[in-house]
Amino acid sequence: MTLHVIFTVGEVEYALPVASVFQMETFSGATAVPGSPAYVLGIVTVRGRVIPVVDLRRRFGLPAVPTTLDTRIIVTDIDGRVVGLCVDRARDVIDLDPAQRQPAPALVNERSAGLVGGMHARGSRLLLLLDLAKVLTEHAHDHEPLALPSDQAHPRPALPG
Amino acid sequence: MTAQTDLKEFLTAYLVEAEEHVSVANAKLLVLEAAQRNGRHDPKALREIFRALHTIKGLSAMVGVEPIVGIAHRMEAFVRGYDRSGTAPPLASTDVLLKGVQAIAQRIAALGRGEAAQPASLSLLGELDALDPTGAELVERAGPELDLAPELLDKLVPFEIEQLVRSIAGGMRGVVAEFFPSPERAAAGFSINSVRERLSAFTEIVRVLPRSVPVSPQSPGGLAFVLVLLTDAPDAQIAAAVGVEPELLRAIHTARVSPAPGVPSLDAQAPLDHEAEDALSAGVRRGIVRVDVARLDQAMEGLATLIVTRFRLARAVADLAARGVNTRELAEVVTDNARQLRDLRAAIVRVRMVPVSDLLDRVPLLVRGLQRVTNRLVRVEVEGGDAEFDKAVSERLFPVIVHLVRNAVDHAIETPDERTRRGKPEEGLLRIACRAHSNTRLELVVSDDGRGIDREGVARKAGRPVPEGDAGLLELLCIPGLSTREVATTTSGRGMGMEIVKRIVVDELGGELQVATELGAGTTFTLRVPLTISIVDAFAFECGGQRFVVPVSTVDEIVEVDRSDMVQVPAKRDGGPELDVLLRRGQAVPVVALARIFHMTGTPGAAQKAIIVRRAGAPIAFAVDRMLGQQEVVIRPMNDVLVRAPGISGATDLGDGKPTLVLDLVALGTTLDAGNSNARALP
Repeated sequence: MTLHVIFTVGEVEYALPVASVFQMETFSGATAVPGSPAYVLGIVTVRGRVIPVVDLRRRFGLPAVPTTLDTRIIVTDIDGRVVGLCVDRARDVIDLDPAQRQPAPALVNERSAGLVGGMHARGSRLLLLLDLAKVLTEHAHDHEPLALPSDQAHPRPALPG
Repeated sequence: MTAQTDLKEFLTAYLVEAEEHVSVANAKLLVLEAAQRNGRHDPKALREIFRALHTIKGLSAMVGVEPIVGIAHRMEAFVRGYDRSGTAPPLASTDVLLKGVQAIAQRIAALGRGEAAQPASLSLLGELDALDPTGAELVERAGPELDLAPELLDKLVPFEIEQLVRSIAGGMRGVVAEFFPSPERAAAGFSINSVRERLSAFTEIVRVLPRSVPVSPQSPGGLAFVLVLLTDAPDAQIAAAVGVEPELLRAIHTARVSPAPGVPSLDAQAPLDHEAEDALSAGVRRGIVRVDVARLDQAMEGLATLIVTRFRLARAVADLAARGVNTRELAEVVTDNARQLRDLRAAIVRVRMVPVSDLLDRVPLLVRGLQRVTNRLVRVEVEGGDAEFDKAVSERLFPVIVHLVRNAVDHAIETPDERTRRGKPEEGLLRIACRAHSNTRLELVVSDDGRGIDREGVARKAGRPVPEGDAGLLELLCIPGLSTREVATTTSGRGMGMEIVKRIVVDELGGELQVATELGAGTTFTLRVPLTISIVDAFAFECGGQRFVVPVSTVDEIVEVDRSDMVQVPAKRDGGPELDVLLRRGQAVPVVALARIFHMTGTPGAAQKAIIVRRAGAPIAFAVDRMLGQQEVVIRPMNDVLVRAPGISGATDLGDGKPTLVLDLVALGTTLDAGNSNARALP
């Protein structure tokens, strides 16, 4: 049996092995980093370390919602790379049997672009397991390009006088 | 070069070196004392104390710090007697010697702050004079052989005198020249450094002594350098090199070659003189160069511009490749270049590393002083000081160590009586251990076997519930202003300061702090700090509602945004936004709004200032909302690929606990320059 942190993004519940969870934080804002992918909320300081925070709602293409008291940052540590995941809610820690883990159906895998690595059925609950390495991979096309003086897409406000 | 800078260069080197010898003297005095307490004598430690004092005296005489010369001279004279006789000085003298070293250290610190060194107190000089130099025939030096002015002779060390006497006896000429620095002479190519360089080609420079002289047209800086030379060259050549008339040179003669009766011959003194020489040239001999950290920072900055150039080069190669040009060979060169730059960076970082022992070696002295005031008996164990970390980390960590050690001695370790009552050894144990925690972090553990921290007491004091774990306790301890001491003590102030420890370790250095404590058994503080940090002087500013900082070194100028100085350049396509150009001293400087580049919702009309930087020589201005001030910041790397973006070199903490981005506007300007809308193409 392996302990998992259960968290919610949108309507879906996910499970994350506690071994890859460094700590949990309430969300009190992040410093935006211009030029980073749109799903990166920004950076926060955790125990003196500056880490990026990924907004899983945006990562999964869900509409943004205002943060609530339930909003959590799950600080994950995967092979020394420390990244925060911003989730709607994270309350339970439960034991899951790795033997009962099911691979994600092909369609799920395809629709999620490989972000879902497997799933656990637990009674009436379906818990998705994320492929964190994929979730945290940079996607070049997701970056907001830096605007240039000749850039047509973003009309520039006239410079103040 | 002006007189002031000449003297300043001398002084900086002097301070660094003198401080080093002071810490050696301190450390070895403690070693000597420890040996004496065990009824042994440590002649090696005594020898090193003598060398340190001798060198301090010599160096201080060179820059004319008479109060230090006076103190060091008395101490050296005392130690020399015992060094020669091979016997141990009385235990009681160690205190006086430590006091003397402390007095020297205070004066060096004062000089470092730009203040004058105060004359030594009469009571200290009295105490030093009262030391009994048993068996010490205090032979000062074989001065009478040379017909030099007494004040000059006084500043030469025996080795130099011997060198002069021998060489002159051997047929070389001794010459004294004087150089007066002035702006006019500097403009004509005569600074003390150029003079020295020219002379070294055909003379042996025995000594260069700065001395202060009355301000006159001849010496507008009130400073002169006395050059003591040995040479075969004619006066005219020397005079030309120094830029004076040959008549102003003075020859040095040996007054008498055979020593006067009663004065030991030079040969008899030779062994000691060689030691003095060793002491003075120790730095040179070991192949060690002392460098101001600022110079390394300069090298690092130069490297940063090289890296930006490499980015441009790589992009140019990629562009060529895209056009179908065969760039295989070029690409290899670029790859090699990248590796070499990485190696160079690592090499510079390595130069900045100092052994942790530099920091930890100061602890025994600190504890020794504290034991006195607090009536505690404490044994110090220091372990593992051969790890290395950045000088800047070491400097920042020192107050932390001082604080933790003070707390341990003053608050944690019980009085000998109390310890006996509790069945503990009379002597408390303070242990400082250090080890490399990973490739990038250093772990320091400060532990004591004292009374431990009373959770209930701390909670009561803080008006909070009793903390469950050690982490909760640490949080309480670090509440600003929390004091667990009812009585203020001289050693630990008001018992405050864990907040300062936390601020430095966690907030400034980006490290970790932990505590483990057991009531009655002791307390352990564990610190993990990065091996290197990079600290820069930076401007903080606000733009689009967000705060940023930019290193001062990259900023050319900060100007008011004033429409009347701006010209709009027509866009190349109809309806496109215009580019503003600022006229600065007749030069056109393109202005870009930072808020727009960063896609921030800037308020139109908010930009009041423009930060002008240079990239590849051409200036570019970034319009920002307002400047917030200037401060030193510690830059923390942002290594994760998710937040690596052009123009952003890291993050810092301006004190609000939230990260603030550190911008590299030069790189950002270069990115814009490339005219590449996909700016992420930056490697």
